[in-house]
Parts: sequence; C-alpha cells; structure tokens
Amino acid sequence: MGPLYKFGWFDYAYALQLAVLIGFLFGFVLERAGFGNARKLTAIFYLRDFAVLKVMFTAIVVCMLGLLYFSVFGWIDLGRVYLLQTNIWPQIVAGLLLGVGFVMGGYCPTTSVVATVSGKLDGLVFLGGMVIGSVIFAELFPLLAGFYEAGAMGAVTLSDVLGIHSGIVALGACLMAVGAFWLGESLEGRFGDPARLPGGSRRMKLGGAALLVGLGLILAVVNPDRFVSSRPEAQPEAESVEATPRPESAPAAGSDAAAPVPRPAEPPAPAPGGFRILHDEGC
Amino acid sequence: MNDERYSNPYVIGILLGLVLLFTFYTMGRGLGSSASFARIGTAGVHWVAPEHAQANPYLSKYLAWGRSPLMDWLVFLTLGAGLGGLFSAFIARRVRGEVARGPSIGVSARLWLALGGGILSGFAARLGRGCTSGQALTGAAELAFGSWVFMFCIFAGAYAAAWFFRKEWL
Repeated sequence: MGPLYKFGWFDYAYALQLAVLIGFLFGFVLERAGFGNARKLTAIFYLRDFAVLKVMFTAIVVCMLGLLYFSVFGWIDLGRVYLLQTNIWPQIVAGLLLGVGFVMGGYCPTTSVVATVSGKLDGLVFLGGMVIGSVIFAELFPLLAGFYEAGAMGAVTLSDVLGIHSGIVALGACLMAVGAFWLGESLEGRFGDPARLPGGSRRMKLGGAALLVGLGLILAVVNPDRFVSSRPEAQPEAESVEATPRPESAPAAGSDAAAPVPRPAEPPAPAPGGFRILHDEGC
Repeated sequence: MNDERYSNPYVIGILLGLVLLFTFYTMGRGLGSSASFARIGTAGVHWVAPEHAQANPYLSKYLAWGRSPLMDWLVFLTLGAGLGGLFSAFIARRVRGEVARGPSIGVSARLWLALGGGILSGFAARLGRGCTSGQALTGAAELAFGSWVFMFCIFAGAYAAAWFFRKEWL
C-alpha cells in the first residue's frame, strides 16, 4: 500500500535517487510540451495557445482521479499523503504576484529550469532572479511573518470547505476541465495560428471528455471519502512510521484510526538530523 | 521555431498526471521546484555570512538539519528535471543558445524583464509556500483548497498584467 516511503519501503538515500528519476520524467514531459520556450508558455495570456492550461488541467484531473481510485481500491492511504496547508491571504497575494512574474519573466520556476538546460539565456537569468527573490523574501521575513501566517485554515480540501464529499468535487473538477478545454480551444481557434497548434481528432477529444466525466460520475456515486480512514492521525506520524523496520507486517494503518479527530494545522516540528521530508513547503 | 514538433498537450498532461501520481504513490508528496532556488540562495548566504544566515528565521529553517541545505529531495528533483529537459531538448535538436522573445523587443530589455520576473516569482513562491508545480499542480490534484485559489490567482495575475507586457511577446 502506498505511499511506499511513508510505509518504510525505502530510506531517504533511495528517495533522493528516486527524486532524480521523477525529476527526469518531469523535465522530460515539460520540454516535450514546448515549455522550455517562454513564447510558447506566455501565448496562453494572449489567447493564442492554451497548451499550458491543457497540460495543467489534464495532469490535475488524471492525478486526482488516480489518487481517489487508488484510495477506493486500497492501493494508497491518502491519510499519509502530505496535504498542503491553506493560508488563504498570502496564497491569494502570492498567486497574483506569481502570475505577474510569469507573464513578465516568461517562465514559472520549473519551466525556467527546462529553458535553461535547452540553452535559453533568459531562462538562466530568470533562475538567478528566483534565487535573488527568495533571499529578498527571507531578508524581509521578520516583517512578513505575520502576513505569511495569516488566514491559516489548516490542511483543508475543497470538500471540507464546500461541505460535499470528494467524489462530487472530483466530478466538478472533471466538468470544469472539460469546459476549460472547450473554451481554450475555441479561443485559440479564433486568435491563434491553427497551423502551429497540435491537432488531435475530434473523436478522441470527445471520447476523452466522456471518459473523464464518466470516471468523475462513478466517484460521485461511490464517495471515495468513505475509504479514507486514517487521515486524522497520519500527518505527524511520518517519523514513527519510517522508524518501523518491516511495516508490511504491521497491521493496516486504517484499522486503528476510526475516530474523526481534527487534522493538525501545524506541521510537525523538525527533528534535527532526522530523515524526513520538510513538511513546510509545497514547492 | 520548432513549434510543430511539440507534443500534443493532452498527451503530455496525461503523462504529467501519471508522473505526479507515481510521486504521490512512492513518496506521499507531490512535485515541486521553487524551494530548490531558495535553498541555493540559502547556501549562498550561508557561505558568505554564516551567522547572518543562521540568525534569519526563514533561512535557518533550511539550515536546521545539520547538513547542507542542498541535500534535499526537491533539489535532487530539480536536478533530475534539468537532466530530463536536456535529454528531451537534445533528442529534438532544440538545444540552442538563444533568448526567447517576441519580434518587437531587444535582447537586453528581455533579459531585464526575465530578471524582474524571476525575482518576483522567487518572492511569490516563498510567500505562497510553493509555485506552479509545488502548490498549484500538486495541491490541486489532492483537492487542497488553498492550492485551487492559488492557481486561479496565478491566471488572474497573469491575464491582468498581460497587456503591459504585450510588446515583450507579440
């Protein structure tokens, strides 16, 4: 049962090697999409090419459906997947600033790496800028600390906020993705250069859309949240779990955690020298 | 331009979603990269002024483990992303020294804007606890509330600012 690392299948040294492999695939697919080129990336903001939106929303719904179905089948314990904290005000401001930085600089952090290695000087300059911007943030942190922690809501999901189960949220996300693809394609058909946009048969697209909505519909009926039993106690457990030498022989994680204790809002305090992922950061 | 040789974005999206799912399945966390640059910055500050770095409440977070701030999962991931991107660009014969820009902007103006955008993005990624991949992509896939808000704010900020930078790209 996944996540394998949280169940002690391998140690941090192996995790670092795995990170290089995962990163390799990540960088590879981004470059394949043309995301090493700022003109391709920023074309979405001038309604000419919606590749960014298509890649991003497709990846989100594929992974979201994967996680929820894996959970339903008992292949992954979502309670042990690190859920990002919500600090709503800094996230709104940071999102807006990151958007401005994107259209101004031409990249987002990961795509600038791909741009740099494919020889784009502007990508390298953007990278240097990010290092500077991070240090500026750190130097200003004493002033920003209050705002940085503002609007703390803990690790909440859309289903917590909307008060509906994850299956219905997933169906909504699938419908929204299909709507966004349709809107993006109509806009780029109007403002873009059709000769330079990748094609794809209409039947494939309609079939894909129907498949997405169908998979979402099944989840909306099944209610995947019923299969997540250990979410409450899981997050601060990472260390003790990793200390267990043969966790496969341990009883299933979900069996002892039925009580719906509220999720901890604070990430666990870092243990010096401990082999554990820093939980404080998403990116 | 080799635009016509770029892959279909839906196919790429499916592959990226599977890579992200694999990451969740193996590691219990998602993708990311911007913290790598904060760590590079931390290592730089620590090298120049170790006491100053230790005293800073944000940088000291990256130094608290008694090992180099660069010995981190995300740094290795970013290293891999560079290798993967290089491999893809190499087999497509897209490795070429150039500056990506629109036809009506000069090289130096474009590079200054890239620097400004980088600084802004580096700052914003720390404030928002992640970037397009670590916060928007990863968080949205696990239906985290703040990540969805963050993602829509990225698009809102970019579309709002696009008019001012149209000469850079069009």
